[in-house]
Amino acid sequence: MRPLTLRRVLWTCALLAGVLFAVCVAALKLGAVPISVSDLIVSLARVAIGRSDQLPLDYRLIVFDLRLPRIVLGALVGAALSVAGAGYQALLRNPLADPYVLGVSSGSALGAVLALQFAPQIAFATPLGAFVGAILTITGVYYLGRREGQLDSTTLLLAGIISASFLSAIIMFLMTTLASRDLRGMAFWLMGDLSTPLAPNLRWFFLVALVVGIGAIYTTSADLNLLVTGEREAMHLGVDVTRVKLVVYVAASGLTALAVSASGAIGYVGLLVPHAMRFLFGSDYRLLIPASALGGAIAVVLADTLARTIIAPTELPVGAMTAIAGAPLFIFLLRRSMR
Amino acid sequence: MSAAGTSATGSHEAHSRLADTPRLAVEQASYAYSPTRRQIPTFTLGATSFQARQRELVAILGPNASGKSTLLQLIAGSLAPLSGRVLLDGIEIGSLDARTRAQRIAVVQQHAPLVFPAIAGEFVLQGRHPYGRALHLANEEDVTLAQNALAQVGAEHLADRRMDQLSGGEKQRIILARALAQQPLLLLLDEPTLHLDIGAQVELLERLRRLAEENRYTVIVVTHELALAAEFADQVVLLHRGKCLRVGTPAAVYQRELLEQVFEAPLEIEAGPAGRPRVSLRSRQADIARPDSADNRTRG
Amino acid sequence: MQVTDDLGRTIEVPQPVRRIVSLAPNLTETVFALEAGDRVVGDTSADDFPAAAKSLPHVGDVLAPSLEEIVALHPDLVLATNDLNRRATVEALARMGFAVYVTHPQSIDDVLNSTAQIARLIGAGPRGDAVIAGMRERLDALAKRLSGVPPRRVLFVVWTEPLMSVGKHTFLADALSRAGAQSVVDIADGWPQVSFEYVLKLQPEYLVFAGSLRDANAPPEEQLSKLPGWRDLDAVRDGKIAVVSSAIDRPTPRMVDAIEELARLLHPEVFAPGAAAGGGAALIAPETSTEACLACAR
Repeated sequence: MRPLTLRRVLWTCALLAGVLFAVCVAALKLGAVPISVSDLIVSLARVAIGRSDQLPLDYRLIVFDLRLPRIVLGALVGAALSVAGAGYQALLRNPLADPYVLGVSSGSALGAVLALQFAPQIAFATPLGAFVGAILTITGVYYLGRREGQLDSTTLLLAGIISASFLSAIIMFLMTTLASRDLRGMAFWLMGDLSTPLAPNLRWFFLVALVVGIGAIYTTSADLNLLVTGEREAMHLGVDVTRVKLVVYVAASGLTALAVSASGAIGYVGLLVPHAMRFLFGSDYRLLIPASALGGAIAVVLADTLARTIIAPTELPVGAMTAIAGAPLFIFLLRRSMR
Repeated sequence: MSAAGTSATGSHEAHSRLADTPRLAVEQASYAYSPTRRQIPTFTLGATSFQARQRELVAILGPNASGKSTLLQLIAGSLAPLSGRVLLDGIEIGSLDARTRAQRIAVVQQHAPLVFPAIAGEFVLQGRHPYGRALHLANEEDVTLAQNALAQVGAEHLADRRMDQLSGGEKQRIILARALAQQPLLLLLDEPTLHLDIGAQVELLERLRRLAEENRYTVIVVTHELALAAEFADQVVLLHRGKCLRVGTPAAVYQRELLEQVFEAPLEIEAGPAGRPRVSLRSRQADIARPDSADNRTRG
Repeated sequence: MQVTDDLGRTIEVPQPVRRIVSLAPNLTETVFALEAGDRVVGDTSADDFPAAAKSLPHVGDVLAPSLEEIVALHPDLVLATNDLNRRATVEALARMGFAVYVTHPQSIDDVLNSTAQIARLIGAGPRGDAVIAGMRERLDALAKRLSGVPPRRVLFVVWTEPLMSVGKHTFLADALSRAGAQSVVDIADGWPQVSFEYVLKLQPEYLVFAGSLRDANAPPEEQLSKLPGWRDLDAVRDGKIAVVSSAIDRPTPRMVDAIEELARLLHPEVFAPGAAAGGGAALIAPETSTEACLACAR
């Protein structure tokens, strides 16, 4: 018997953080305009010591205004989606749950469409509209998903799926009747798009909200291990099931809302990264949560780098890349786990 | 009526056992259940009382839908009684917080298949959850206790196996081990013999008896298996359609007419070794051959 | 130089403008028409006119150009249009300090004005004035010819399945009206999807297609008769289908050619002598663009 130790958690996180670092360096280096690693180091060093004006304008713009914000956003969004997915999988006791199954992304997309239609000039109207749409959906689905006063997994799942369908139908209706060309950008957003960095004043909010959300779920990770074996069983082992379900629901939905508002609905990450991490490191949520966060960051940065470079100079939306890579990976994991 | 039976309200025998205060006392506990708030409660458990001591194995016996699981949930503290109370070592179970309750009461239920892969050893370690804090990471003591629990169910060799690769009986031993790891005072099992063959059923009940004896548990088993209850229980609580009909030793409770009425099957009760009744199906052929038997008179 | 673009954005354009990146085919064409094509350092993969535009370095497609490539070209001025490019692209470039001029032509006059603006920006003022004067002259002459002639009721078909036409406040609608046509679709903006029954009820006199929609091998009325319901349109039965160069849809100086051609097709009687024959066959305008040339094949 090898119980989980804090050491193992920390070492695994260190390993994944190392991989993430390497992936980020590669992402900074690769792109339509190639930059050598030495140039990269020099650029980073110059900025670090405050002599950014000595950099050729190209490098400064490409590395710091284009690539770096994209990589950071991708990492944060990947972490948020993967932890949300892992959380939902425990809450719904369903391995097929992903962050969008409860309708958050559909509500968010509707908010974004309405914002694009009615306030296209305001820069942050889209992420704000998306976030508001997400929050409203989360609240609505919560009230629909209750049974006898507390969240019930089956009822919640049904409520979420129905809400998602309904909201998607509204979006489709709007997209055909509102023949505005500004909605062209929606297609990108719906597939996931990291090319629009967060407004500077939103960046800190995003980071803090992310840490709070992941932290909140992490505090319930021991309870989640029990919850996935059954609600009654967890209750008999002393878990406050009602509270844990609420915390996970709010935190996971909030993380999804954050991610979708910033970058649209990047698919497959929230579903597959937790499974891949389970495959590599086991199902214990005390390790799975941080592993999923780091694994998700790696996955999205990797996917985005590929999306940017595979058919350069055209940029694919990152969601297209995760879909292309996601399906075969899913099949592989499925077959391996069946053995 | 046998002298060993106890009535529902307590008796002289209970008072005379001062040195042996009952670990579990169920006093007139009842429950009503309604599917929605507006409907009239449909399912009830009428006021039920019994007591159980350390090292005792109690069978809650009855056919399907007789309220057995409800009574078990009342004892486990996951339901609050509508009236009456349930006391563990003199303290009302409802007044305990969830953590303390989990340290004193362990429940083994019908288990749904696990959605995510789990290792048996880690599963048993989950039984230590009520004793941990924050991330509930297992310390040495936890690991030792979990290993002991596995040993007590004869499953140490399964510690590193995946749960979905175990047989039904092996899985159940792991689940039982998790309950043992909680180091409870009270061990509750809800129809543990349902999917087991007769050999496994007997093995389980013998193990439960042994555990009750060695670890001074009070074991409560919900079952509808007449023969097993007769053979292994110290006390039987007989339920029928939400009403507690009889509480007592198997010999006291197993009266043929009573049991036939409750289980709606023709039965034959005989005295067995060690004062335990032996139950068997009465053959219909024999009935036809004896036209003036007591049964025919009852059925008329 | 400080200017305000069609979206009301005030931008600072460094002078002189030596390096231009164009993110839309019509803007590339316009710059070449202003005889400043040698200063275009990058365009999109969709740019096809003039031929030189095809061999310029491409920064990607219209919707998703590579911002890195644009940056690496160090443009002094980036040209974009609200009709094709994404606002996100424009804002990203502006955030990095590039001067991005965005056009948003909703009428022919808008096209002329933004052409003049761009000409001023890149220091091609005299040439710009000349081009615009020429366009105005021809348009005025056309208007004179068509004065007093009732406009033809037409349906401009952007796409057949689903049926999409053009809304009122677009430069294309304006182009149609200057060609002596009036769009039967009375919906306000953009590219509305209209139901076929609506069109059937209105029975436009002519159907107008832009060149890119036709199949080089089959004449339009044959293609259309294969689509369900179109046979019942008077315009299809009478062969009153006008196919013009797709330049009518591109806000460039070539637009005027296309408008004149359409006017000729719709009002042949006004352009006698030497007008193209009307009647039973579909009327195809001689192509002046390098696109798929149906008339040439015939």
